[in-house]
Amino acid sequence: MKTLYVDGNTALHRLSPRVKLAGLMLASILLFLTRSPLALGTALALAIYLYAMLPLGFKVSLHRLRPVLWTIAVVALFSFLVQSAEEATVALLRLSVLMLLAASVTATTTVSAFIEVATEAARPLERMGLVNAADIGLAIGLVIRFVPDITGHYQSVRDAHLARGIKLRPLTVVVPLIILTLKSADEVAGAIDARGIRNQKA
Amino acid sequence: MDICFADSTVRFGDRIALHPLTLTLRERRIGIIGLNGSGKTTFARLINGLVKPTSGSVTVNGLDTVTDDKAVLGQAGFIFQNPQNQLILPIVSEDIALGLKGRGLSKAEIEARTQAVLLRFGIGHLGSRRVHELSGGELQLAALASVLVTAPDILIMDEPTNQLDIRNRALVGRTIDGLDEHVIVISHDLDLIADFDRVLLFHEGRLCGDGPPAKMVELYREIAA
Ligand SMILES: Nc1ncnc2c1ncn2[C@@H]1O[C@H](COP(=O)(O)OP(=O)(O)O)[C@@H](O)[C@H]1O
Ligand SMILES: [Mg+2]
Repeated sequence: MKTLYVDGNTALHRLSPRVKLAGLMLASILLFLTRSPLALGTALALAIYLYAMLPLGFKVSLHRLRPVLWTIAVVALFSFLVQSAEEATVALLRLSVLMLLAASVTATTTVSAFIEVATEAARPLERMGLVNAADIGLAIGLVIRFVPDITGHYQSVRDAHLARGIKLRPLTVVVPLIILTLKSADEVAGAIDARGIRNQKA
Repeated sequence: MDICFADSTVRFGDRIALHPLTLTLRERRIGIIGLNGSGKTTFARLINGLVKPTSGSVTVNGLDTVTDDKAVLGQAGFIFQNPQNQLILPIVSEDIALGLKGRGLSKAEIEARTQAVLLRFGIGHLGSRRVHELSGGELQLAALASVLVTAPDILIMDEPTNQLDIRNRALVGRTIDGLDEHVIVISHDLDLIADFDRVLLFHEGRLCGDGPPAKMVELYREIAA
């Protein structure tokens, strides 16, 4: 299991996780309130600066963004085809800023900090009797935990294809990927039960 | 420690994984051996309630694994065959601390206990390391720390030395020898259980041997041949 968190002592590392996540939420709302290419362009420059300041190194920095970059490219292409070039530019800028900001937050926040913040945020819902806050926190932490796992599974599936000279096809990649991921999810769920992590209601 | 199986069976669909079994376990070091698919893991999972008996009952220190399942989990810690998935969070100390959250402990107390358990297994230097960077032996020790930090009375380990080299086998073996907890170890590594107090031999879902290690290993070799 790899982690998205990277050791360091940047300003972002020191900032409280609560502030970082609230800031990310606010930024994503603001991004969708403006369509000005100038404002979005400035935001992109700032976001690149923020992300580039992290002690990741050039190669890793790009590598981490690659899967999301593809998604963004597809969305932009789609809006270019069905809407307009302007629409496509706006979508491209917004999503790129969002991606960089989110990547900066996940790289400077540990999974346990995520769990803590999400648990606190869910407390009001818990008081209304709707959810168990600790469960919500754990669920969100696990989503973040599994992201690099899934990338790792993808790499082993790809290697297995390459080693046997089989062409990569969506079906032969996605099916084993899902099976591998569900299997490790099942084991992790077993560990959560066995270690009594959901026993104590805080 | 007192683990009682009373006519316990386990079925998965129409397949019987464990035939009726009546047995009491009290020894401090218990080994479980048998061929692949003989029911060892199923038997071990019955003890901490991860698998429930299809019929009959299992009790741990008087607690029923069906009706008191949460209390049973507190008594019996379990280390899975693949310690990679045992560790839930990506940084070692973060993962160990997770087991202590929600128990009304202060942050300082959680940190102190996490550090203490790391030191107990001589892996104080691994606290800030990534789980995926650990060697097989370090991974087993980290898994041990993550389970024993909540102080269970019984520790169940499923093939703990399976993927380890000779040196790490010896390290994990020594660590198990030094534990004060009751341990139940499933193993294909027959050296590991050679000086245990009692060994159970499973074959095709039945307990077919129960006695001292040397005798059980001999019987096992006969069955396997
Ligand atoms: N969750 C399950 N669902 C269906 N069959 C299972 C399940 N777990 C184990 N079995 C079956 O029960 C038998 C015993 O398995 P197991 O206890 O894992 O054996 P061992 O640990 O000795 O290799 C095997 O035939 C296995 O296929
Ligand atoms: Mg097994």
